[in-house]
Amino acid sequence: MTPPRRVFVTGLGVICAGAGNVAKLRDLLRTQKRWFGRPTVFPTAGESATLPVAQVSGFEVADTLPRTHRLALQAAREALGAGSAPDAIVLGTTTGGILTTEFALQAGITAPDAYRFHGLDTVAEHLAQSLGVRGPVITLSTACSSAAVAMSVAAALIRSGQARRVLAGGADSLCRLTFHGFRQLQLIDPRGSTPLDAERAGMTVGEGAGFLLLESAPNPDAIVAEIFGAGMSCDAYHATSPHPEGVGAVLAIRRALQDAGLDSSAIDYVNLHGTGTEDNDAAESRAIKQVFAGTLPALSSTKGLTGHALAAAGAIEAVISIIAITDGLLPANTGLQTVDERLKLQPVREPTRARVRTVLSNSFGFGGNNACLVLGEARPETTTIENETTQATATSLSPLRVAAAACFTARGALPQTWEALISGESAAGFVPDAAFSKAVPNAFVRRLKRLPRLMLALAQTALQASGRTSPPALLATGTAWGPLAETQDFLRKLFETGDQFSSPMDFIGSVHNAPAGQVALLLGAQGPNWTCSSGDRSFEQALLCVSLAMAAGADSALVMAAEAHEARLSPLFDPAAATGPLASDGGAALMLVPDDGTPGARVRWLGESGDADSASSAAMALLGQIAGPGYDAVAVSVPAGISAASEIVRLTQMLRPCPVFTYRDRLGQHASVSATATALAAHAVIEGTLPFGPTSIPLPRKRVLLLLLGTHATAVEVFA
Amino acid sequence: MSEQTDTLVTELSRKLVEILGLDMTADAVDPAAPLIGAGLGIDSIDTLELVVMIEKDYGVKIDTRAAGVEALASLNALAAYIRQRRPASFP
Repeated sequence: MTPPRRVFVTGLGVICAGAGNVAKLRDLLRTQKRWFGRPTVFPTAGESATLPVAQVSGFEVADTLPRTHRLALQAAREALGAGSAPDAIVLGTTTGGILTTEFALQAGITAPDAYRFHGLDTVAEHLAQSLGVRGPVITLSTACSSAAVAMSVAAALIRSGQARRVLAGGADSLCRLTFHGFRQLQLIDPRGSTPLDAERAGMTVGEGAGFLLLESAPNPDAIVAEIFGAGMSCDAYHATSPHPEGVGAVLAIRRALQDAGLDSSAIDYVNLHGTGTEDNDAAESRAIKQVFAGTLPALSSTKGLTGHALAAAGAIEAVISIIAITDGLLPANTGLQTVDERLKLQPVREPTRARVRTVLSNSFGFGGNNACLVLGEARPETTTIENETTQATATSLSPLRVAAAACFTARGALPQTWEALISGESAAGFVPDAAFSKAVPNAFVRRLKRLPRLMLALAQTALQASGRTSPPALLATGTAWGPLAETQDFLRKLFETGDQFSSPMDFIGSVHNAPAGQVALLLGAQGPNWTCSSGDRSFEQALLCVSLAMAAGADSALVMAAEAHEARLSPLFDPAAATGPLASDGGAALMLVPDDGTPGARVRWLGESGDADSASSAAMALLGQIAGPGYDAVAVSVPAGISAASEIVRLTQMLRPCPVFTYRDRLGQHASVSATATALAAHAVIEGTLPFGPTSIPLPRKRVLLLLLGTHATAVEVFA
Repeated sequence: MSEQTDTLVTELSRKLVEILGLDMTADAVDPAAPLIGAGLGIDSIDTLELVVMIEKDYGVKIDTRAAGVEALASLNALAAYIRQRRPASFP
């Protein structure tokens, strides 16, 4: 067996408060000048006007393209340099276009066009269009660990041979939702954050973007550094507070070291998550002392300098970690006066020259989502980089066995949905509350709204149906729009009180990975925990994340995707899906295990292909990769508002006599309906009939291809 | 116990159950029992939610842990805390 491909860093790009590029960030790390001040990208009044943020200068809100998108593009272009388009983009973001959306909502704008860049996926999509990327464009949203998670997924794409050059990073802009959310949680330090300090009183919300260009087989002269490993975990402890003993952080750090094949003694410097909040710094210090028992490496948090750029933080800090390696510089813990004695750490106080070969970079987020990266000086065996000819072409990922499937549609759970479809009825519409409201005890869900309740019910139903009593090793969720009711309620209350008050609970619930954090909490799932938010292909990307990790040895995974209709926001964000007779919500969950030969349904992620110009050629390019007869049916998801009639005709001609049909007219229009179709297909290949075509389709070969058309095409096969 | 305190306790009890989605009726909350860490299952997020509500509806800030311990000792204690500090602009 050939060793896994190595992941080299060949380009860096960054933007944060005080530094518009990598050269300026180098200067900033030496001068340590903090660029904290009042926010000017949104209005503030009263107490909130006195709280500092770490705002990037320039990039005022444009009419159309939101600030996050513009920050991301600048840093992405710097990382890419003069190089050609990468094979794939993996981006972490939590804000997407929310800053622009906030202004539009407050102004009462009801034209959906004003919200077309709201979706988290539109940031990476804008990059893909601008840079000409034709492969997978993946968006992850795991709160403050988003960028580190994105880089770990990018590394997995390269190691598995799915891509050779990947642009990976994170981007977030300041906005009212996060600023007032953290303010209402009493987590903003009025004097500017001073991580690890005895007087620390919280974070400074920042913004920016960071990218690494990752390559498996670069020109040796282009190599800047190497990603040795990555580790993820979930605390499964609390929606926002870290486990007080840093249990999840310890797991993530150890997994990253194990993935890198390194002992903790190999780490020369730790770039801490170090937000400056009481709880984070206390928990992280305990985790560090536990992992590095005895001799601690040099360590610091750089958030006292850059602010906490949320989903961009892990990427900005990866760039800082690489500067530490290339420049031989230990970055200082800016802003520190008196170390908190209780932490028993001695952070780097001044920028210090030192040989830095290997760095651990920590990122922890709401939902208990932890991600750690081990970055280092490219190892000397660099000269043996595989060249173009020896490098195997992309191998397909292994199928996974479906141990159980669950879904919720307007008809109820999977058995009711199946019966309705078999009887020729439609499953379109909104899920009735009664279908999922009893699955989890009220004491657990009392503060939760529709999306987390749907997700919890899906997870519980799938886990129970699988007969499994222990939590899944991996958990991946997809959601295009995230918790909309929480977002709407938070902003409504904020605007009603003149930007003074809103609900901390709604803020916590509004982050896209909040439902996944709740599922982890319910199941006690401490493994990696991904939330993909990639529009209509969020489910497929969640499936990709677990497929990559299962290839590396995990024994079980829960994959799910869902949407929850919200009366005001859904029609603005996804108008074609949220209005009309096919307007729907719901979703599905699959319990997956390695293909052990046991009879049952299998599911396999086959590919994602994008094309800036044409959905048609994206679909054709993808079919070219996966071509092969043997399917009984090809079920196609065509998102509302996309015209795909000519593609369907072409697919029908190409694949004749295999029936090709669209299914959203039967299963409903919502962004996660492909998860529902996949769950139903897993049942169908066992039953021998597929009930969501124009008529019931017999499945003698027990093999169905599920395609999604749109700006990108994705393909998943289900067989038995 | 004055009639005014009773009214405020009743009002706070109703808001508590409603805002936190507690699975009980407002009159089932014992006004003398500890609010946090006892039978109600109230945690740090609930506490922050109450803190925001108290500032918004009564103009009374609770911005230190010590203030939180005093104000949230019980519904009766919360009512007393609010009555002592409520500004004139919040009748």
